[in-house]
Amino acid sequence: MDERALPMFTRRSLMLTSAMLAGGAALGGLSRGAAAQVKDMDMWYWGEQELPGLQKYVNDSVARYKAANVKPMLQDTAVVISQFQTAAAAGNAPDVQYLWNGIYHMESVWLGYLRGLNNLVKPEVLAASNPTLLSHFGGDVYRTGWYPLPMFWCYNKALFEKAGLDPEAPPKTWDELLVACDKLKSSGVEALGGGIQDGYWSEWYITHSLPQQLDSFGEAVELFIGDRDFRDPKYHEHWVKLEELKNKGFLNKDMSSLELYPGIDLVVAGKLGIGQSIGTRMPADSKATGGKIGYMTMPVFGKGKLAATPVVDVQGLGISKDAEDPAAAAAFLEFLQSPDQLKAFWEATSWLPSNTTFDASVIQDPSVRGLWQNWGLTPNISNVTNLVPGQFYERAAIPTGQQIVAGSMTGEQAGELAANTAKEWKDFNPDMVENYRKWAKDLASPT
Amino acid sequence: MTPSSRLTPYLYVLPLVALLGFVFGYPLLKIFEFSFKMVRGIDGPWIGFRNYQLILGQSLFWESVLHNLQLLLAIPVMVAISLIVSVLLAERVAGWKLYRIIVFVPFVLAIPIVAVVMKRMFQFSGPVNEMLRWMSLDFMALDWIGSSSVALWTVMILIIWRESALGIILFLARLLSLDESVTEAAKIDGAGWWRRLWHIIIPEMRGVIEFYVVVSVITMLAAVFSYIYIMGGGRGGPGTSTEVVELYIFNALIRSSLPGIAAAASVMLFLVTGILIFLLFNVRQRAEATQ
Repeated sequence: MDERALPMFTRRSLMLTSAMLAGGAALGGLSRGAAAQVKDMDMWYWGEQELPGLQKYVNDSVARYKAANVKPMLQDTAVVISQFQTAAAAGNAPDVQYLWNGIYHMESVWLGYLRGLNNLVKPEVLAASNPTLLSHFGGDVYRTGWYPLPMFWCYNKALFEKAGLDPEAPPKTWDELLVACDKLKSSGVEALGGGIQDGYWSEWYITHSLPQQLDSFGEAVELFIGDRDFRDPKYHEHWVKLEELKNKGFLNKDMSSLELYPGIDLVVAGKLGIGQSIGTRMPADSKATGGKIGYMTMPVFGKGKLAATPVVDVQGLGISKDAEDPAAAAAFLEFLQSPDQLKAFWEATSWLPSNTTFDASVIQDPSVRGLWQNWGLTPNISNVTNLVPGQFYERAAIPTGQQIVAGSMTGEQAGELAANTAKEWKDFNPDMVENYRKWAKDLASPT
Repeated sequence: MTPSSRLTPYLYVLPLVALLGFVFGYPLLKIFEFSFKMVRGIDGPWIGFRNYQLILGQSLFWESVLHNLQLLLAIPVMVAISLIVSVLLAERVAGWKLYRIIVFVPFVLAIPIVAVVMKRMFQFSGPVNEMLRWMSLDFMALDWIGSSSVALWTVMILIIWRESALGIILFLARLLSLDESVTEAAKIDGAGWWRRLWHIIIPEMRGVIEFYVVVSVITMLAAVFSYIYIMGGGRGGPGTSTEVVELYIFNALIRSSLPGIAAAASVMLFLVTGILIFLLFNVRQRAEATQ
C-alpha cells in the first residue's frame, strides 16, 4: 500500500464524496417526495371471461393513466362478490371495484361497502355511461357503466326464408310467433329454444318475458320479496307461455341437455330458427353467417308498460368505502369514459363501451351497428333478473324454466313455486326486506 | 425418567400441533359460531338455533338429503363390480396387467375431466343415444342429463364407474396377499368359482370390504360435489333433481349470501360424517385384528 497517498485521498476525497452523497440523498428524497404525489390505487375487475381483450385494455389503460398508479387485478368468476365483500368487511377493499348490475352490487351498498357517486363523478359522465336504474338507491348512484350487454331474441334469416317468412320482419306479437314457429317446424327445422342445462336460458327467458306484465322494476322487486303474488295469473303468464311452446312441440328436443352457448350455436349453424342471445356474441355470429343473424325483442303477449322494450344490461365500476382518495378514484373512472379511452376499448375488445357519446362510426358490421342504435341508444330497460335475490334465483328462477322445458312442471306450478320461494326468502332474510322495499321505491319509474 | 424428559417429545411436536390447531381448529370453531349467527359480510347477530330451524323446515334441504341417500344405492353395485373385477384380475387372466391399468384409469383422471366427458356422451344428441338409435334401441335413448327423473341415476352411473376403481385397487391388494393354498385346495376338492368366491374369498376380505363400504358411504354423503356440479349444469339440475347437501351449502354461501345457513348445514354434515369416520376407525381396528 502507498501510505503517502492515503492522507491526500482521505482529506479531499472524503469531503467531496460526502458532499456528493449528501446531494444524492437529498435528490433521492426529493424524487421520492415527487413520487409520493402520485396516488397508488387498486382496481379489482372481471370481464375478460366474457369479453376477450378486456384485460389488455385495462393493462394499457392503467399504463396510460399518469395521475395515479393503478394496480389492476383480474378476479375469478366465483369470487367477484365474496372477495370484495370480505375485503371490505376487513377494511381492505380495493379503491375501484368491478360491479355486476342490480342486487349483485346493491347488497354491498346496503352493507355500506360502496360510495355513492353523485358528488364524486361528473353528472354528465355518469349519465352518459348508463349505469342503469338498477344502480340507484336512496337518491344516489353507485356505479358508472363500463360496457353494455344488449339482450335480445336472435333468429336465423336463412331459415326464415326457407320457411317462407320475411327475414326482415320478425314476429312482433305472440300469435305471430306461434305462426312463425309452425312454419319453421313445417319446413323441417326445430323452431325455437337453445340450451337450458346450465340454467341461464331460464334466466334470460325471465329477462325478456316477465317485464311484459310489469309497469316498473319496483313491481318486480315486490314480486321477488313476496309483497306481490306470483300465483296471480298475470305474474306467471310468461311461464304458461313457455309451457305452450313446449306443448306445441316448438322447442328443440335436446334443449334440456344442452348448455346456453351451444344452444345459441344451433341458431348460428342453421339448425334452430329462433333463440336468445347477447350482444357480445353478435360480431362473431354475424360474421360466421354472413349477416344472417337477426335480432328482435321478445314477441309481445303482456300488457305492462315495459313490454316490447329492448333490454340492455350494463357491467360497471364503483368506488369502495375504503378508497383512500375517492376523488382520485372518481377521476380514474372519468378517465375511462374519455373519448380516447372509449376508442381504445373498442379497439382492444371489438365491443362497445357503455357510453352514449361513443362514436359508433367505427363499427363496420351493420348488424352490430344496428344493435347499438336500436338497443343502446333508444329507451331501454335493464335485466329484471338482476333484481332477483340469490335464493330466489337458485330455487325458482332457474328450476322453473328447466322443469317446464323438461315437461315436469306447468306454468301455474311454476308460479306456485315462485310464490313459496319468495315467502321462504323473507323467512331467511328478515333483515333485508326493508332494504328491498326502499329499493322498490327507487325503481318505481318505468325506465 | 425425569418429568422433564417425559415432556420433551411433546415439546418437539407442540409447534406442529399448534399450527394444525390454528389451521383446522380455528375455522371449525368459526363455522360452529357462524351457525348460530345471521352472518352478513363476515359477522352478524346471534340468533340461536334459528338457522337450524330454517334449514330443517326447508323442503329443498330434505330433497338434497334424499338425493344423498339415493346415491347410497350405488354402493352395493360398486362393491359387486369391484369384487368380481378384482378376483378376475387376481386370477391373472390373459392380459390381466393391461386390464388392471384400464380399470385403474378412471380413478387417476380428475373428476371434472371425466364428468365433462360423460356429460357430452350422455347428451340427448350425444354418442350414447346415437349408438342406441343405431342399434334400433330408440326406447332406451333417454334424456340422460336433461330429465328430472333420470339425471340423478346418470350421475350415479358416473360415480359407480369411477369410484369402483378404488374398490378394485383395495380388493386386489388384499387378494394378492391371501394364502393361495386355501383356494387351490378348495379347487382340488371340486369347489366351483362362485363357491370359492362366496365361502373362501369374501370371508377373507371382510375387513377390506367393510372399509370400502364406509369410505363409500362418506363419499356419497360428503364428497360428490364435483360430480354433481358438472353433470347438473353447476346447479344440481334439471330443476333441483340432482341437488345434494354439499351443493346446498355451496349455494347458501356463494349464491344466496347466507353464510350462517351454510355454516349450520356444514355443521350437520360434519357431525354425520364424523360419526361415520368414527365407525371407519372401528372397522379398521377390527380388520387389523382379524388379519
